[in-house]
Amino acid sequence: MSAPNASQRKACWDARDELWKCLDVNKDLTSACEKHQREFEANCPAQWVKYFSKRRDFLKYKEKIEKEGYEPTEGASKL
Amino acid sequence: MLRLRVFDRHKRLWSVLQSTIRGNNISNHIPNTTCRSSAPPHLCARQRAFYSQNSPKTPNPGSSAGIKLRTRLVVTLLFGGGIIGTWWYVHQEKEKRIQMQRLEQLRKVALGQGDFHLLDHTGQRRTKRDFLGHWVLLYFGFTHCPDICPDELEKLTSVVHILDKDPSLPSVQPLFITVDPERDDVSAMARYVKDFHPRLVGLTGSAEEVKQAGRDFRVYASNGPKDEDGDYIVDHSIVIYLVNPDGLFIDYYNRMKNDTQIAESIRNHMKTFVRLFPD
Repeated sequence: MSAPNASQRKACWDARDELWKCLDVNKDLTSACEKHQREFEANCPAQWVKYFSKRRDFLKYKEKIEKEGYEPTEGASKL
Repeated sequence: MLRLRVFDRHKRLWSVLQSTIRGNNISNHIPNTTCRSSAPPHLCARQRAFYSQNSPKTPNPGSSAGIKLRTRLVVTLLFGGGIIGTWWYVHQEKEKRIQMQRLEQLRKVALGQGDFHLLDHTGQRRTKRDFLGHWVLLYFGFTHCPDICPDELEKLTSVVHILDKDPSLPSVQPLFITVDPERDDVSAMARYVKDFHPRLVGLTGSAEEVKQAGRDFRVYASNGPKDEDGDYIVDHSIVIYLVNPDGLFIDYYNRMKNDTQIAESIRNHMKTFVRLFPD
């Protein structure tokens, strides 16, 4: 399996962007974005699908920290 | 007997007093008598001669002192100048030696640092020596990279385009070395580099050769777990390296720098560049 070329990469990125836009609008309700999810998986290699999903989780976590600040997990004791 | 003793004491005391008085009188009278009275004239003349001899000597000490002072100043200045001159010479020699040592160290680093023995995307053997005399921009990535490598290579391409617009600058050679030799063979690299700058050269090789190249540039690279299709993501550091015409790695640019900033930095390096190996 060869690597995606420029146009294939762009198709994947565009599908990813559409999916993320849908998830943002629908507050991560995956059932509302099933069509975009299928297109995303069809246009991207499987490993990229996993990678971008993790990346989205990371970006949201980062945004949360930037806005709300860091809160230690409940129960974690301070030494 | 008692009376005789008393008398003897008194007599002695008197004699002592007499001798004292006489001495004083003699010392006081002699000069007065000699000059004022009608003493022999030759004596007076002698004394006058003595005084006249003293007169010429009076200005001599003055002039002598002046000459000595000037001589002393000159000697002091010469001595001080000599010391300062010696210090300056020693200082210059030391600076020169340090600079020569520095240049020698840089030459060794330039020859030994970051060498590679790889195949380019046309199948030709390439080493660092092939790119000496050129400015090189170097990126480590892999062709199955989801987004960061293409982004960075697009940025690299843009930097080269920006610099190419200035005819006064030497051209820059972009290089892309894979960290995934298992999948990125010569043909895969050829397909990949086509999407970026026409001058971009892709480099691959055996696993050991690629690892060696990455090690020289302190590149981190690690294969992720494989899925059922045998696909995997390679985790690696994200750095664009700048190598100068002597083969010295002199700067790097991370993800936070944009193409304009990188181009400006490279322009500055080009303007301040001094060759280590003049032909």
